Amino acid sequence: MFLAWNEMKSAKLRFLLIIGVLTLMTYLVFLLSGLANGLAEMNREAVDQWKADAIVLTDESDMNLSQSSMTLHEAQRISAEHKAEIAQILAVARKSGTKIKESVAITGIHKDQFLMPNVSEGRSFRGDHEVIADDSLKADGLKLGDRLTISSSEQKLVIVGFTKKAKFNAAPVLYTTIATVQKIKYGKTDTSDKGIINGVVIRDPYFTKIKVPSSFKLTPIEPFIEHMPGYTPQKISLDFMIYFLFVIVSVTIGIFLYVLTIQKVSIFGVMKAQGISSLFLIRSVIAQTFLLALFGVCAGFILTAVTGAFLPSAVPIQLDIPALIGYGAIFIFVAALGSLFSVQTIVKIDPVQAIGG
Amino acid sequence: MSILNIQNASKTYGSGHTQVTALKTTQFSAEKGELIAVIGPSGSGKSTFLTIAGGLQNPTNGSVLINGQEVTKLGERKRSMIRLKEVGFILQASNLVPYLSVDNQFRLLDKVKKGNMNQQEKAQLLKQLGIENLTKKYPADLSGGEKQRVAIAKALYTNPSLILADEPTASLDSNRAFEVIKMLAQETKEKNKATIMVTHDNRLTKYCDKVYTIVDGGLSLVSDNLQIRP
Ligand SMILES: Nc1ncnc2c1ncn2[C@@H]1O[C@H](COP(=O)(O)OP(=O)(O)O)[C@@H](O)[C@H]1O
Ligand SMILES: [Mg+2]
Repeated sequence: MFLAWNEMKSAKLRFLLIIGVLTLMTYLVFLLSGLANGLAEMNREAVDQWKADAIVLTDESDMNLSQSSMTLHEAQRISAEHKAEIAQILAVARKSGTKIKESVAITGIHKDQFLMPNVSEGRSFRGDHEVIADDSLKADGLKLGDRLTISSSEQKLVIVGFTKKAKFNAAPVLYTTIATVQKIKYGKTDTSDKGIINGVVIRDPYFTKIKVPSSFKLTPIEPFIEHMPGYTPQKISLDFMIYFLFVIVSVTIGIFLYVLTIQKVSIFGVMKAQGISSLFLIRSVIAQTFLLALFGVCAGFILTAVTGAFLPSAVPIQLDIPALIGYGAIFIFVAALGSLFSVQTIVKIDPVQAIGG
Repeated sequence: MSILNIQNASKTYGSGHTQVTALKTTQFSAEKGELIAVIGPSGSGKSTFLTIAGGLQNPTNGSVLINGQEVTKLGERKRSMIRLKEVGFILQASNLVPYLSVDNQFRLLDKVKKGNMNQQEKAQLLKQLGIENLTKKYPADLSGGEKQRVAIAKALYTNPSLILADEPTASLDSNRAFEVIKMLAQETKEKNKATIMVTHDNRLTKYCDKVYTIVDGGLSLVSDNLQIRP
């Protein structure tokens, strides 16, 4: 640490440049992780609000909620204590009399079951055709009392309330009655045993004990989310980019420190002649990397925080502090790993040659 | 026990007809309190002799004992520890770390070794060498003579029992050179060290107890002031 720190103080510009590069790389890692987080959130935030443990869908549907259909009778026979029936149709809603259009997930629920969201503004739906909308729609110009025309349906809806964090697979959710969804889907409502819904959401940590008929499938909530269209490919791509950045960081700092070590061969040689061990020199190189990476990560963190404060809400970047700290720690670790390139060079330095005979 | 004992040591570089004998088979010892000069022309094997004496490299044949420890039998790690503890090198090329201030050059030695000079001894040493006002400076800001004096202070600071100096007075004016040699002589006597210095300067040999010449790798004793003195 002593050698490392003093060298950095005496060659400030050189080391500031290296820290600058590391800062930009950290910044990129942090923003990418924020983006990964934000995109994941867009897909799953509504489901996360449900605080559910599992979902029952038809086997046919391949874990896709809107592709699953079952009768209310079948749904009622599923023997779980905490369950909630759900109907859903994906559609395009247009604010009547305007050109404002949105892809939405119109989701039918029972008011007295746990899928009922917290109303953050306005009131709950009282009858059919009234909806509680995801409040991200406000940014697109929708407000309480607006009437919505639904594509491929005669049905008109009216926004009576807003709720927070209600996006399902990136589509804002409109919560309404099951009857309303049936009306949009089939042109008529059917609340009898034969009425069709999409699935049953289950809140029970011991859900694996629940028996379902063979044509149905009980899916834990996490795989259900991972199976949403686009969710996993998006996540894998971004994660891959982040991991690859770590490799680049390791190699880049490895090269920097290797070059610095090569420049110092004769100084190291003289120190070795005096009896200073290779281990001490190696430790000082690793300590230096650690310091450089630490400064880089801290500066990158500040830059990210500032960016986060000025980000428009349309950008799906969500900074998750514990995740950033985790990535920061990995960053420092892989940087230190890169400095190991120099170890062999230091060990091989021949003090006799270094002191020039 | 001698501080340094070299038995039947020789050094050849290369092999076949590119082979160079840098040091012929040599017997040598340095006792406590001895200041020894080795004089020889360029390429005669002075540096080879010094690096072998200090355990920096092994001779091709023979053995080297420092304070009774046979360094020629040790691995690089142990030899490096012996160098740190027992040997003070004053090198031809400056042995200062460019990015450490003079003060930090000493602090570095404190980081790697215990039993160095205390504050008072250090202050006295710096004063004797006339570098007490340079402690905040970096090597790049020092003149050649100042660097040399800092290098000498650094070698003495660790209280080595064997001091090996390669042209220690090369970049000093003659007054300063005399002072430095006197100081080395005093340090050698007072603290019972053995000091071997390689030099060109015949005038400096009057402070030395023994003077050797080296020609084409052959070392021979030319004067032994200890014997002459009453
Ligand atoms: N690493 C080496 N490889 C081959 N020859 C060397 C090497 N080091 C020194 N020599 C040769 O050994 C002889 C003695 O060199 P050296 O000990 O450096 O002499 P001095 O210090 O007296 O100038 C010279 O002829 C030199 O060319
Ligand atoms: Mg030489």
